Amino acid sequence: MANKGIKYGLTAVFNTASDIYTAAAKVRDAGYTSWECYTPMPVHGLDAQMYGLDEKGFPIRSKVPRFTLIGGVTGFFTGMFIVWYMNAYDYPLIAGGKPFFSPIFPFPVFYELTILFAAFGTLFGMFFLNRLPRHNHPVFEHPKFGRTGDDKFMIVIEVEDPKFDDEETKSFLNDIGGKSVGLIREPEEF
Amino acid sequence: MSADETIGISGGKTDLSTKCLGAAAIGLGGGLIGIFMGVANGDKNPFLGWLWGTTFWLSIAIGMLMLVMLFRVFNSQWTPVVRRQMEHCLAVFPWLGLCFLPLILVVWFGGDQAGVLWNWVNPASDVPVAGEVHKVGHDVLLQKKSSYLNVFFFSIRVIGYFAIFCSLSYWMRKVSFTQDRDGDSKWTQLGHNISAAGLPAGALALTFGAFDWFMSLEYHWFSTMFGVWFFAASIRAGLAVAIILCFVLATRTDLKGFYNFKAHQYDLACLSLAFTVFWAYISFSQYFLIYNANIPEETFWYVIREINPNTGERTGWFWVSMGLIFGHFLIPFLSLLWYRNKVEPNKTLKIVVWILCFHLLDLYWNIIPGRIPNSESAVGYDIRYVLGTQLIWGLFTLVGVGGLCIWAVLKSYRESDAEIIPVRDPRIKASINYHE
Repeated sequence: MANKGIKYGLTAVFNTASDIYTAAAKVRDAGYTSWECYTPMPVHGLDAQMYGLDEKGFPIRSKVPRFTLIGGVTGFFTGMFIVWYMNAYDYPLIAGGKPFFSPIFPFPVFYELTILFAAFGTLFGMFFLNRLPRHNHPVFEHPKFGRTGDDKFMIVIEVEDPKFDDEETKSFLNDIGGKSVGLIREPEEF
Repeated sequence: MSADETIGISGGKTDLSTKCLGAAAIGLGGGLIGIFMGVANGDKNPFLGWLWGTTFWLSIAIGMLMLVMLFRVFNSQWTPVVRRQMEHCLAVFPWLGLCFLPLILVVWFGGDQAGVLWNWVNPASDVPVAGEVHKVGHDVLLQKKSSYLNVFFFSIRVIGYFAIFCSLSYWMRKVSFTQDRDGDSKWTQLGHNISAAGLPAGALALTFGAFDWFMSLEYHWFSTMFGVWFFAASIRAGLAVAIILCFVLATRTDLKGFYNFKAHQYDLACLSLAFTVFWAYISFSQYFLIYNANIPEETFWYVIREINPNTGERTGWFWVSMGLIFGHFLIPFLSLLWYRNKVEPNKTLKIVVWILCFHLLDLYWNIIPGRIPNSESAVGYDIRYVLGTQLIWGLFTLVGVGGLCIWAVLKSYRESDAEIIPVRDPRIKASINYHE
């Protein structure tokens, strides 16, 4: 590692879920915006600690449900369009004495496509918001990062954060109880 | 300070309990006048109104009974705080049985008018068959069904349904309230076991109850999904009332602080969303299958809810049907998708009151429309109007039975020595600490 590469951010390691839970609120209150928590398992309520509460006291919610809704509505109208195009426009055909187009008999088609597209919206919306897929991430360079899949918790404050300052952020991370505070460097492209 | 004192049930000038008894006396009195007039004139409307008004409260109680048993059978951690409030509501079943009694008495002692509500009761009643008016006694469709649809077996079944509802609610209350006193965990296990047996028993009772009370109003028609519809509708009503009740108690009584809007109410509202979808799924499936099969003996039930077959014109029922699709499904569905609407009590309350109103309309739509035999008309029958006298009689019964039910619930809060939450339930700690 040494001093090669572009600075990515400062890491701090925590030993327990409650340590990172309280530390996350302190990082948020200090005004940092570009930072992330890495935990071996879901920590209940960590979202609210990281992003805080809105003016009415509710935790800031993920934006994924918006993609779900858009997907669902798209699916519904896609189903409707398919049935209308095939049955009533391109090749009108009487089947079972039913109308060419009706919202009733082909409803299962609308319904299934609503669910399918809502699921797509959720999955790809999550990918999009998380900027996935990506092949590598600078935090993988950290020698202890593997432990965050096992028994360690980690907070990383990125260099691109406007409040980031080599010395201040380092002492801040030490103050909130972070262990082995250190710099991550992104390897230069080769 | 106990729950009832704080809400003003006891003490004060005119306490709530007395007001409810007054409403019960006025409402039931009015409904009974209708029933007497109905027997005298052979008028079906007061009976339909009575059935509708009583069923509304019965469906709420059935929904809560099924929910309490579901909570027990799944050993759920978050529910004890909410479950206690539902257990108090289960005190209404014997009173609802009493409210059903007039209908059964008329079946037995109504003489010429015994078949005024359920026309199959009296072989001399008229029934429209293939464009003509026949006597029920000569109707082959009834003859084939008579081993099931006869007065004796019908009465036995109705008694059986209420026996099941009353005994299950008795045990659900007993295991919970007794545990408050002795703290013995065997009551939790017993409640679990009774619920495991009680769920199928309750499901059968409400399914066949729906067949007997509502479907047999038009005994030509049949749908195996009808019982599931009633279950879905009941659970929605039960959840809506549970959310309202918990809100009232959590803002005015000792329940404050134990009931968490972001956790308990959120989950109740999530269940409400799930059963909104379930209700739509079942209601639509029933329609969809009958529409696709296109068999006249099934489709007429939907036809009379859309058009007047004599003229082919849309009736008021068409707009009620549309109202149900949008008002009972689409609007609650979209509203309950939003997180805020499930955790902010003011918003959630509006939605569940809306659901309750449309539940009332849903029952009205399922119970009231019917074929009035008329040999003058082209298809052999006319269709009952949306706004008929049944609505007035029904509103009397609605108020009356409602007053009686609320009085019974308040009595349960006042007279049982149960705490506001099941303090010695093994899962009470998890339930109090339940959070988002």
